Amino acid sequence: MSKLTLAIPSKGRLMEQTTDMFARAGLVVRKVGHVRGYRGEIEGLPGVDVAYVSSGEIAEALKSGSVHLGITGEDLIRENISDAATRIRFLHKLGFGFADVVVAVPTCWIDVSTVAELEEIAIPFRRKHGRWPRVATKYINLTRRFFGSKGYGDYRIIESAGATEGAPSAGMAELIVDITTTGETLRANGLKILDDGVILKSQANLFATNAAAWTPDLEALCAELTGKLSASIPEKAISR
Amino acid sequence: MTAETVQNLEALASQAQTMMSVFIKAGYDAVAPPIIQPADVFLDVIGESLRARTYVFTDQDGAELCLRPDITVPTCRLHLERHADPMTPARYCYNGPAFRFQPQGVTAAHPREFRQAGIERFGDKSREVAEAETVAIIIKAIEKTGFKDWTMRLGDLGLFSSLLDAAGLSPNWKKRLDDAFLRPLSFREALKGYAAGVRPASSSIPEEVLSSLSRDDMEASEAAVAVYLEEEAIELIGTRSLTDITTHLVDIAEDRQEKPLDAGAIELIERYINVSGPAITAGEKISALIKEGPNGSGYALETYDRRLALLANAGIDLDRVTFSAEFGRTLAYYTGLVFEVNAAELGTKSPIAGGGRYDRLMRAAGSSEDIPAVGAAIHSERLLAVCGGKTP
Repeated sequence: MSKLTLAIPSKGRLMEQTTDMFARAGLVVRKVGHVRGYRGEIEGLPGVDVAYVSSGEIAEALKSGSVHLGITGEDLIRENISDAATRIRFLHKLGFGFADVVVAVPTCWIDVSTVAELEEIAIPFRRKHGRWPRVATKYINLTRRFFGSKGYGDYRIIESAGATEGAPSAGMAELIVDITTTGETLRANGLKILDDGVILKSQANLFATNAAAWTPDLEALCAELTGKLSASIPEKAISR
Repeated sequence: MTAETVQNLEALASQAQTMMSVFIKAGYDAVAPPIIQPADVFLDVIGESLRARTYVFTDQDGAELCLRPDITVPTCRLHLERHADPMTPARYCYNGPAFRFQPQGVTAAHPREFRQAGIERFGDKSREVAEAETVAIIIKAIEKTGFKDWTMRLGDLGLFSSLLDAAGLSPNWKKRLDDAFLRPLSFREALKGYAAGVRPASSSIPEEVLSSLSRDDMEASEAAVAVYLEEEAIELIGTRSLTDITTHLVDIAEDRQEKPLDAGAIELIERYINVSGPAITAGEKISALIKEGPNGSGYALETYDRRLALLANAGIDLDRVTFSAEFGRTLAYYTGLVFEVNAAELGTKSPIAGGGRYDRLMRAAGSSEDIPAVGAAIHSERLLAVCGGKTP
């Protein structure tokens, strides 16, 4: 019988929290072979193959179907898989990895607190600077979809790989779309969240992909694993 | 879908030749603008919403380029390169591939790579004549390829403006509503909000700042904003200056003073938006609406009626033409007439041709002024399909 492949984050907080969650569910995840290797197994669930993958690449693996299951943030799934609604199954929220994807503008823009007001400044801005306001972000698709749903199109996206919060003060962009948990980093960089600027309230999820090959046996194993995990996650941990 | 068989390729080529010969015979100059275009023009004209539908890429030098999503913008750029004075009248026709990302997935009727045959004309003095001729030539080209069973949908983004004039609205209100009309997703909400006042009460702009501002003394206003920022320990960062922020705040303060939008005007607008049906009777409905307004002038209707008469003169069967006041609001760059040619078997989601007036586009492509512009393009693969060919 072929194995159920589960991709989990290979480093950082998400990896620790994932391991802790499995432990609370009475499941011990451990690496197979070399300690620096990227394969693992779950004690007591011999049909499951664990792959340690960086959380960004987990979305790619789910998209292509090279794994059956993956644990990563909803933000990365929504950003990287344009047809996530049909391709990906959201099996369970996991109660960690909380992050809001938000639109943030300089706090000194006391004249702008909504997307509608952002829209108002776009044309005067263009008249003066010869271009639309720039939005620095790594969430290109989420940004586009969000502004699109508000009927706002007068902006330019500047792709930002890191330290996005610093882009406005550095003059690289006028505003940003980025993740925040407490808002502290935004404040430290002189930015505020628009009143209607929360694009997505994200957290880590257990995802399954319809792009992988599924058999009834694998489905059953997936249900068993999901059941064990969900029983160990209190309802209040996943709702904010 | 691109031609996958030699027969298909030949059928598309022969169809294109038929259409191009109609255009060239009518005096249109055949052009072939580059397929790879600078992304900037498209993104600046249409905004980021276009990126969602366009293949944008960066070349080895870091230049942001795209595969042309249509041939209209490339033709505008070509016109600007050829003529120092963009008002110089010119007529162009083209046939070639265009490329679009299909977020709902690639299908036969929605391929990522397709051929467009079309025309664009610039600098025409007589607006309605240019519009009627454009529609008529597109229909002629379509019929010449063997497809006769078309229907047409018309819209007119300029009529809304005329309706607002008739309703006797102030210039500020008119501008606001004109802008809002082009954002259908938020329009009804905006209209509802306007019934209560210009600006929703939820706006979290500090009241003490707003009340201290005046357009008559911008210097003092700016100083007041600076004091507020200082007191709140807010650092001025980024590219927008204190003047930019203050100017916008003054606009907001003035909006607050303005009376809510008149209920009669709102009703008139709502009734206008719901106008839809055969083009001839729609004209009568709009005429009745405009006459109700305090400034009811016949000018807009003259344009509408004149255009229909010109279409009829050009041999267009008006019984096949419908009008919808809402149609065209979501189409990127049009400013006046919009039209779409449909075939029953493909449905309204996959028109076989479309076009309209786009007077503001040339400015975005680099002209220093608006240039009268009308154009339309035929979706070759769809047309071939309804002519009995292989694709889609």
